[in-house]
Amino acid sequence: MSGLLLNAAACAAIAMSAFAFVWTLHKQEYKDTNLPSLWALILFWATIALAFLFVCVRVIAAFYGYTGVDRICYYLASIPLAFLPVSLVFFIVYVVTGDKRASLAMSLIFSAFGIVYLWFLFTSEIAGPEVTYWATIFSIDSDAAITVYLSGLFIVPTAMVIALLGIILARKISKRHRYRIALTLVAISIVFDFILVDAIAIWDVMQVVSRIFILIGVVLAFLAYHPPDTLQDRLGIREIHDEIEVIDG
Amino acid sequence: MGEIDVSLEQEAAAYFRSLGINQGPGDIQYRLIILALASNEGRVTLFSDIRAYTDQVADRGSVASKLKTVFLLEGLAKRVQRGGYVITDKGLAAARFIEKSTKFYKKYMQIDAIIERIP
Repeated sequence: MSGLLLNAAACAAIAMSAFAFVWTLHKQEYKDTNLPSLWALILFWATIALAFLFVCVRVIAAFYGYTGVDRICYYLASIPLAFLPVSLVFFIVYVVTGDKRASLAMSLIFSAFGIVYLWFLFTSEIAGPEVTYWATIFSIDSDAAITVYLSGLFIVPTAMVIALLGIILARKISKRHRYRIALTLVAISIVFDFILVDAIAIWDVMQVVSRIFILIGVVLAFLAYHPPDTLQDRLGIREIHDEIEVIDG
Repeated sequence: MGEIDVSLEQEAAAYFRSLGINQGPGDIQYRLIILALASNEGRVTLFSDIRAYTDQVADRGSVASKLKTVFLLEGLAKRVQRGGYVITDKGLAAARFIEKSTKFYKKYMQIDAIIERIP
């Protein structure tokens, strides 16, 4: 059953690195114009951290054979995951339009999708847990819940992320900005899509692999804001300060 | 050519001046005069038509002087009657360039605002 321990370790790593990233974002300098989007981003990564904390407990419980705890934590983790697109949609709509009201309205629509999904999830039967060497899997016996989850909660926000990425890459902006924005959006996209794969996984290995990719996504997001020196030199994105100012200062 | 948005043209001129481009795209009088002439393509543009736009940003004398020293001298417009001008092919090329510079400014501001909003 050491596969389950690897699975739990991946979940713990996702939760911890997402919490660490939230902490660094919280300490980030901000302007009035980017404060709403910064909070949306903080909320997005905090939601992921919280969800994977429950998933981690769930996998450990499955390892020790506590199926009741596994089931409770499955339901608990599904709550933050159902509302994950809310902060993401707010972030994208606000970044593109700069209109807080429009962003809130869109977020409310996606909150409604989340509530509908949870309602279908909690009122339908779930089969499981099926505990294997690698994973613990629940199967939702509700086509409506899966449809809402796939179409409403994941496909639309993913399309929004890709569209924003296209807008940014199509314009001529500085390498430094291009690196940070593109890597942030790619990281969000990877994390978001593999959470979807994780949720609909029917093979145990698929679940572990998708969690490893989610971890890679969180690390990429961290690297977008804190690129190592060697990477900055190689990509030519280092911020050059005034040497005279440094000497005088 | 549609209606000329004087405040947008002022913003665009200020932006180009901030890039160190003080003449042409960075000159609000030049922008408004060429756009006013182009909006009357095929017809005579009266000095009063031009002043309808330029009065908000410049005095009559400096506009008349700009018309004489830049537009007539460089062949961007022809004087066809007292206080009446028509745009030339060269002038139309200049007008197209100024229109493109407005579009460039709008696009730049759009992307700049998006970048500003990303933390």
